[in-house]
Amino acid sequence: MIIQTMALLVDAYRELCAKKLFWITMVLSVLVVAAFAMVGINEKGLTFLWFQMPADAFGVPLTSETLPPGLLYLTMFSSLAVPYWLSWIAIILGLVSTAGMIPDLIQSGTIEAVLSRPIGRIRLLLTKFAGGLLFMTLQVGVFSLLAFLVIGIRGGAWAFEVFLAVPIVVLMFSYLFAICVLLGMITRSTIAALLLTVLIWMVIFIVNMGDAIAVSIHENIRAQERVQVARVERMERNATQVLLEERNTERADQGLEPLESLDPPPTADELEGKDVRLASNKLELEELRSGEKLANRWRQGIYAAKTLLPKTQETINLLERWTVDREALQQIGGGPSDDEDQRAMEEGQQATADELGNRPLWWILGTSLLFEAIVLGLAAFMFKRRDF
Amino acid sequence: MTEAVVSVQDIHKKYGGLGRKVHALRGVTMEVPRGSIFGLLGPNGAGKSTLVKILITAVKRSGGGGTLLGKPIGNKDVLSRVGYLPEHHNMPKHLTGRQVIEFFGAMTKMSRADRKRRAGELLELVRMSDWHNKKVGGYSKGMRQRIGIAQALVADPDLVILDEPTDGVDPVGRRDIRRVLQAMRDDGRTVFINSHLLGELEMVCDTVAIMHKGQVVSMGSIESLTTGMLRYEIEVDQSEPMSLVSSLLNEKGTLRGGETIEADKNRLWIGTTEAATIQPVIDAIRAKGGMIKELRTHRPSLEDLFMQAVAEDDSPGAAPRAKGGSPS
Repeated sequence: MIIQTMALLVDAYRELCAKKLFWITMVLSVLVVAAFAMVGINEKGLTFLWFQMPADAFGVPLTSETLPPGLLYLTMFSSLAVPYWLSWIAIILGLVSTAGMIPDLIQSGTIEAVLSRPIGRIRLLLTKFAGGLLFMTLQVGVFSLLAFLVIGIRGGAWAFEVFLAVPIVVLMFSYLFAICVLLGMITRSTIAALLLTVLIWMVIFIVNMGDAIAVSIHENIRAQERVQVARVERMERNATQVLLEERNTERADQGLEPLESLDPPPTADELEGKDVRLASNKLELEELRSGEKLANRWRQGIYAAKTLLPKTQETINLLERWTVDREALQQIGGGPSDDEDQRAMEEGQQATADELGNRPLWWILGTSLLFEAIVLGLAAFMFKRRDF
Repeated sequence: MTEAVVSVQDIHKKYGGLGRKVHALRGVTMEVPRGSIFGLLGPNGAGKSTLVKILITAVKRSGGGGTLLGKPIGNKDVLSRVGYLPEHHNMPKHLTGRQVIEFFGAMTKMSRADRKRRAGELLELVRMSDWHNKKVGGYSKGMRQRIGIAQALVADPDLVILDEPTDGVDPVGRRDIRRVLQAMRDDGRTVFINSHLLGELEMVCDTVAIMHKGQVVSMGSIESLTTGMLRYEIEVDQSEPMSLVSSLLNEKGTLRGGETIEADKNRLWIGTTEAATIQPVIDAIRAKGGMIKELRTHRPSLEDLFMQAVAEDDSPGAAPRAKGGSPS
């Protein structure tokens, strides 16, 4: 059993090595890391090769004091390399390289020779699947090793956590590769499997975008609502105070003791009579409340839809969650704004980032792995039953 | 009685779904004796490959059963004692000839040392030692076929099943392949060949089965199948030879002993293997001034056997090809 598994994995490795794309991807990985190594930071600001950039080139003061070199490289790794290179380009190249694995296996003249050997179909398929993941493991492994060396040598921090990219990116790739395996089994065509997989990936991406937008709208409305509640309460307090002062002036004229508070409390009409803006602000608050309800329904609907799909974005974001100290980065951005509405917007953005960035691990990985297991199970079921 | 290496009873296979069912095998029953070269022949679409694919578990049967090397068909473990070369095989092009043989050795659970040793031996046997480190993608059809046969033999199998093994191979290659197959038989192993190249099979097979439209229509050794068809052939110098022997014919148009006699241009065929029976025929020809140019016994070829077996229905094949399988 071990002999067969090893033979299939070695065969997958040889198949990958025989592809030019494998080596092109590898060279591109090296170039991306080399580009990172060219960026540096000193007490005057960022540097690129021997060019010095001003400290405030990016709107916030960036020097080696505010952003230590280790954190700079780690941030570049998790904010640029992982989301753009590893989770998009390298995965597309990975899918292009491995999409033919199943159609090639099940083509007439090949599959019969393999099936005529003492190996079960399910094990054959799963080992082939593992062979496909080998591509990503090698690519991300080399990339992480190079990034580790750059962060260590250039940044002075030996960040072993960058190797978390290997399981995380491979896991994310495995969701898509499982879809590609199933489509390859159904269509028997490399091109069809690849294009349909990318199409499904785009759908997942659009749902992710929808989720981020829905959460952002909802959190922004909630933040505005909080500000509006405070504003209305303040107006009511002021109006009540004015009414109280008027009453006490009347009572002083009548020789009576001043009141501590109004009893019964003033009606809404009385308050609105004292502050003309109160009515419109209350109306605005009501609109915000009904808007919040609608946004929440959308947000819950999209969340439910996402639960059924693999969480590609969240899986990749785990890397940033686990590698970068976000509080350290937030300090660079400066303190909260003085303006009430501006602060509400900042709070909304913060709440959105918290909501999207702190979703439970079981939901991100559990439901994605369940999706993957179902898709692979379907492919295995078809493979087991098919005549070749 | 010789033990059967392959024994199948009433095997059925239906392909396809609603409205387009294809009945590729319609109750195949046959036995392949141990230590023989067995030829399964039939026109394209007869169901030969489907039957073989059922044996090696690539296709699931719809009915019937049988054994392969004493184990029920479908048993995976027994396949380590079976070598198989598919028709139009597609060996991995990214591997070298040696790596292909070693890969299939590993798939048969052979140890690394055994695989290496066996690959060397087989490369010698199929005369591919000089090319062992070149990628299969750069091989000619004949070279790929040689490597294909080598991978089928890698685990030193008791039974080797070859689907169209000489397809695309030049005459020298064909002779080499025959040599390998005969050496296997001499070694006590069983060779099962699927082919439509009757001349090839005739040269090496001990036993043949003829399939037509998903059924076995004839089976046995070539000798036993052709014994009843042995004839004497007499070539004369005249264009209407029947007139020379008319005095010997009875009212049924046969010889007096009941032996058939047929004529074609300047030849006569007498349905007998007895020399005594044709003496009066020779006398009659000579008496009428005919000159005998050639006299010989005629054993029908496998092609004659084949044509006779499938003559009853000339429509091609059992059925059209079905998606997901290839009843050929």
